[in-house]
Amino acid sequence: MFGYEFYIDPSRCIGCQSCVKACEECETHRGKSMINFDFIDRPEIIASAAYVCFHCEDPTCAEVCPADAIKKGLDGIVQSALEPRCIGCANCVLACPFGIPKLQAPQELMMKCDMCYDRTSVGKRPMCATVCPSQALSYVTPEIIARTRRETPTNVFQFGHQTVKTKVFMMVPETVDVVSIDVLDYMWEARP
Amino acid sequence: MRPGHSPRRRKAIVVIDGAIALLAILLIVQMWLLSATLESYLRGHHAVVLPAAIVSGVLCLACVGLAAFVMRADRTDREA
Amino acid sequence: MSGLQNPERDPLWREEFSVFAEDEQYVTRRQLAKFLTLTSLAMFAGNAWILAKSLLRRPPVYQDVAIARVGEVPVGGVKLFSYPGPKDPCILVRTGEETYVAYSQVCTHLSCVVFFNASSRRLDCPCHQGSFSVTDGSVIAGPPPRPLPRVVVERRGPDLVATRMEGA
Repeated sequence: MFGYEFYIDPSRCIGCQSCVKACEECETHRGKSMINFDFIDRPEIIASAAYVCFHCEDPTCAEVCPADAIKKGLDGIVQSALEPRCIGCANCVLACPFGIPKLQAPQELMMKCDMCYDRTSVGKRPMCATVCPSQALSYVTPEIIARTRRETPTNVFQFGHQTVKTKVFMMVPETVDVVSIDVLDYMWEARP
Repeated sequence: MRPGHSPRRRKAIVVIDGAIALLAILLIVQMWLLSATLESYLRGHHAVVLPAAIVSGVLCLACVGLAAFVMRADRTDREA
Repeated sequence: MSGLQNPERDPLWREEFSVFAEDEQYVTRRQLAKFLTLTSLAMFAGNAWILAKSLLRRPPVYQDVAIARVGEVPVGGVKLFSYPGPKDPCILVRTGEETYVAYSQVCTHLSCVVFFNASSRRLDCPCHQGSFSVTDGSVIAGPPPRPLPRVVVERRGPDLVATRMEGA
């Protein structure tokens, strides 16, 4: 939808997995959920997070695909793999900094979230954002986010030396001025 | 996005479309010419074969020229 | 060539296999232009082949073949024979006391065999209702595009001799 953006706030996630079930209902990907649902540290805490494809501006999955199967449209949505072209090599699975693409081995096909393109292209919200009770996944205008949330959105991610700019926003604490998440900061291994 | 890039807008698309349409029309004319020549030849009118071959050759050269134009327009527009 | 290129441009492989969906259409148009040109070349090759056939054609040499005896066929009757070769069916029709005509039996439409229709005095093709005149082989009705090739028959003594074919 024009003017609407996708916002992910993992701190709001209550682990109900409604997004997973709602995504599964779609006929276009045959009952397989495209939500990446994580339990952060299941033995210790109950925190959970749900992620969709971040639809990067310079999609790494598309760059590494040897079969030219992943395409990005003018609206910035990175489509899932084109079925006639995908050879199931899992290059994209390995390359994606966020770990989003999933390889369906029996079909030799990669499948990933495409922002419910059949819905968003005709003015509806994606299924996950529609059903999320806590709006951890939300599809609204930036004005509504500015008005209703304490956190600020960011779409710049740092993976070591690689800067990745995405279409999907993640909510980060408002106290952070320059909003860019360096994933290495959040890893428990010591930095070299 | 790669640095310095934006989703492409190409200006040459209309010109290329027109050239391809003209190419298709010339091809249809050539197809008719071939069938008419064959029929005349089988009927025993051998005089028509040579002029028809010459005209077909001219049409073919025009098609080749149009195709070269399409390739050149595509490359020029990409370099712009 | 590389010196003339814009240094900001992507390498060719990136342009041909772009990650952007809208770039695919440019490759398709180039492919279409190439395909149409190749088809045009094929058409020209067809015309050139007809030209070559026409230039290299030697006028056919026909043998004289005796096909019937005078009086063997009744008036209004027919006799089938092969001319110039065993695989070329022909038909001889006695249209009058002294007049004999002969034609190739192969219909010029789709090569069915024509027969002499005595009641209408025409050479009819049973496949698509084509009809040829028995006097000169021209098309009277139906889909045949060309007249029936005529076999020139001479009377030499007691024999009727086929000497050549016309309009084949």
